[in-house]
Amino acid sequence: MSTANIAQQGEQGIARSRRSPLRAFEESRLFPLALLLPILLFFVALNVIPTIWMIGMSFYSYSLMSPAPPSFIAIDNYVKIYNDADLWSAFSRTFVFVVLAVGIETVLGVLLGFLFWGSANMPGRRVALTLLFVPMVVTPVASGLFWRLIYEPTFGVANYFVQLLTGSKIDFLTNVNWAFGAVLFVDIWMWTPFMILMTLAALGSVPKAELEAAEVDRLSIWQRLWHVIWPHGKFILMLGVLLRTIDAYKTTDLVFLMTNGGPGNITELIGLKLYRYAFASLNIGFSSALAVILLLIAISFTSIYLWVLNLRRYREGA
Amino acid sequence: MLDIRVENLRKEFGSIVAVDDLTITFPAGSTTCLLGPSGCGKTTLMRMIAGLETPTRGEVYFGDRCVTKLSTRARNIGMVFQYPVVYRGSNVRENIELPLRAEKLSKAEIDRRIEEVVELLEMRHAVNASIEELDNGTRQKVAVARAVARRPQIILFDEPITNVDISSKLQLKRALKELVTRLKQTILYVTHDQTEAMTLADQIALMKDGRIVQYAPPRELYDRPNDVFGGWFLGNPGMNFIANFVDGNQPGAFLNPLFVRPLRLNGTAAGPLTLGVRPEHVRVYPDARPDAVRARVLGRAIVVGGQHLVTLQIADFVLKAKVAADVGRTLMQEAWVHLPLDRITLFGADGHKPDVALHYAVDHQSLHPTP
Repeated sequence: MSTANIAQQGEQGIARSRRSPLRAFEESRLFPLALLLPILLFFVALNVIPTIWMIGMSFYSYSLMSPAPPSFIAIDNYVKIYNDADLWSAFSRTFVFVVLAVGIETVLGVLLGFLFWGSANMPGRRVALTLLFVPMVVTPVASGLFWRLIYEPTFGVANYFVQLLTGSKIDFLTNVNWAFGAVLFVDIWMWTPFMILMTLAALGSVPKAELEAAEVDRLSIWQRLWHVIWPHGKFILMLGVLLRTIDAYKTTDLVFLMTNGGPGNITELIGLKLYRYAFASLNIGFSSALAVILLLIAISFTSIYLWVLNLRRYREGA
Repeated sequence: MLDIRVENLRKEFGSIVAVDDLTITFPAGSTTCLLGPSGCGKTTLMRMIAGLETPTRGEVYFGDRCVTKLSTRARNIGMVFQYPVVYRGSNVRENIELPLRAEKLSKAEIDRRIEEVVELLEMRHAVNASIEELDNGTRQKVAVARAVARRPQIILFDEPITNVDISSKLQLKRALKELVTRLKQTILYVTHDQTEAMTLADQIALMKDGRIVQYAPPRELYDRPNDVFGGWFLGNPGMNFIANFVDGNQPGAFLNPLFVRPLRLNGTAAGPLTLGVRPEHVRVYPDARPDAVRARVLGRAIVVGGQHLVTLQIADFVLKAKVAADVGRTLMQEAWVHLPLDRITLFGADGHKPDVALHYAVDHQSLHPTP
């Protein structure tokens, strides 16, 4: 076929497409926008507007308990938060909780992840992996309930074994010395599988050829970890840490069900605090301000993560 | 120095046999090329020698030591992969240095060795560059440097220049040539590029379908292929084949349009024989000669090196011949062709070289006494 022929055919093709309006729409710039529209609407209606609304609310005094209409009080809500010693201690409690939970989950997750990675040819590996993920897929409310029963001093399973070993029982969820650890333990039980999964994904992102080269080059275990695995795996692993950090920091359901913040306020995390202000005291203005602060903290975690790992460079593959 | 020996080595991937009961020795201190088309099992063979692939059965020996059950790291080899494998998180110098540090060498010794390979591979300018700045060719040099600097007794190259851009290819090839002539290690080099194999190898193992077809020095493999495959795969273009040239049991003298004088077979073989001759071994003359037959020139093309590739017809046979430019230019419609008997290979019906030689029925010397 001559080039003239091909050109002619091409022209015909274009002419034909002009005739069909559907085809014209498909090729227009509006088409990608039209495809995006549903999710954009969804996002704006359920994310953007409520967030802006919340930020606005945080400058008002507005309680559902009082008949008074919302009144603008500028930053008074924020000043109140700043001066609230109770909230500060909730923040620091949450900080300890997050550091311990995420730290232990990461260490355990990485160790177990390596174990699963190294046993790729072991029989029963898939079954073990599936079983390990059960805690993660059970809803936190259900887990919280189960664990309250497990910790239960009169008929709980945990206490049955504690009594066998020590002769006495421990009231895990109401004992001042045990409650925080008991909740922490459940969070670790629930989320370590997630860090195993992230570790496996991170290890999977290391090119096989580089691992083989490291094997041929007889690199030491530390050299392999630091020079071969870490440069590739850090993005996914640290993404896991980030997700866990944000998630652990807003833990509410678990403590609400297991201890409801007690005994005293030992397990009262900031999420639970927020829940109380918003839905128990119905203090909408004040809780909005608190929520804005929590949001800012979450955003700063993410920014630090992006900055540290220099994600843009990673994406460009430079 | 260690030789590499494989015994009855076999690898199956599902129903595919990648390496088919191979037994071969790659001699110590020399360079052996595993040459063959894609999918012939050469890389699999190399990976089994490296310990990166577990053989279905069979053994691998380094010297007298059986290494079949050993891990890759315990085998203590160097290897350069098909794609430039470099440690992305480190710069060039660190890349070369890492394995040396793992060997717990002294700082002075490490510096000396890096200095040496950097010099050898002409990459002084890139020593402190980060891997990201380098093109694939230089990355591959880094990989080569890393493998060589550790001075393992055995170094494996798995098509190291296949995936490098054209501009770096030549330079890398030259560097590798320099390297293999200087190194006294046992080198195994996988390639599907015959020119590469011809330039680098002390001996070539020609592979096809998981088996070694011929194992010989490059020149011998080229001039005396013992299988149709070798004749076809090597050379550009490969051998001319004249099928059904003569029956293997031909008892007496016979005539063939390709030859002026009657021929006879020394020895017998079953079935028809195929004649093979390389295009560059076909002698072509512009004028009539007593030892040449007349041929019709069907076509001419200029090939690498300014030579002419001439397509000739003699009776029903079509031959390709490579001739020097000055001869090629003078050829018009006719040419005279002589096939030297010592350049001719006969192949049996199974493709292998039978124990049969081609001679003139009457001794050449007695007819044309040379002065």
